[in-house]
Amino acid sequence: MSIIPPETTNYMIAGYAVFFGVFIIFITSMAVRWSNLKRDLQALEEIEKEKKS
Amino acid sequence: MNKKPVVLLVLDILSLVFLAVAAYLALSFAPMEVNMGNVQKVFYFHVANAWVGMLGFIAAGVAGIAYLRSQDPKWDIVEVAAVEISLVFFLIAIVLGSIWAKPVWNTWWTWEPRLTTAAITEMIYLAYFMLRGGIEDPNRRGRFSAVYTLVGAVSVPITFMAIRLFRTIHPVVIGSQTSQAQGGFNMSPDMKVAFFFSLFTFTVIFVDLFWHRIRLGILASKVEELKLKVME
Repeated sequence: MSIIPPETTNYMIAGYAVFFGVFIIFITSMAVRWSNLKRDLQALEEIEKEKKS
Repeated sequence: MNKKPVVLLVLDILSLVFLAVAAYLALSFAPMEVNMGNVQKVFYFHVANAWVGMLGFIAAGVAGIAYLRSQDPKWDIVEVAAVEISLVFFLIAIVLGSIWAKPVWNTWWTWEPRLTTAAITEMIYLAYFMLRGGIEDPNRRGRFSAVYTLVGAVSVPITFMAIRLFRTIHPVVIGSQTSQAQGGFNMSPDMKVAFFFSLFTFTVIFVDLFWHRIRLGILASKVEELKLKVME
């Protein structure tokens, strides 16, 4: 007698959706923070240059 | 600092390729487990996320020791990077476990030893950022954080061993199963391929993200330094 596996595909999809969702949000947050810091650094370097001159 | 190292770029590409392969192995290559159905496939990423989560918490503890010994701010940056990344991976592991538990245990959550210790670990490291946010002096913040990560790291072996030491319904992947375990299964060779490849992939992804987060921390401290200099 063969066993019929329970239908749990939706849970599997939900699991992988959560993983990829959180993963993408985290990577995006790192990228946004990086670009914001770069912009801040540029602005601060310009202010410093102006101060010196 | 501006230019991304070639090795990091290679690691980025490898991480993406490995992640795609790991997803393929888990979703398509590994056979369906007959008693649980497709939800069992969540297990491959669940364990891999938990593994790198714990790895990072331990790495944070090591960085904490290094900071306390040297008082070098770079170790504080490493420590924060490790905690932040692990917090994300560990949260994913907890949520994936909960999704798996619903059809297998018939509940999203139960306060059994593994789930309880995992939730406590996650909350300990969430509180880490609250602690840091409450201290302004960087030296004091670094010292307090380092001690906190050392104490917090104790929760990692406790969480890992919880299913081996206590009566629990959580299955054991490596080692002998308790009689109360529900949802345990024997891995076929194809399942083992998917499982170990996932562990390997997430280790590579962890190293990659860790490196990126350290660079981000260095950049943030540079900006902070320059801000103070400009304000003088």
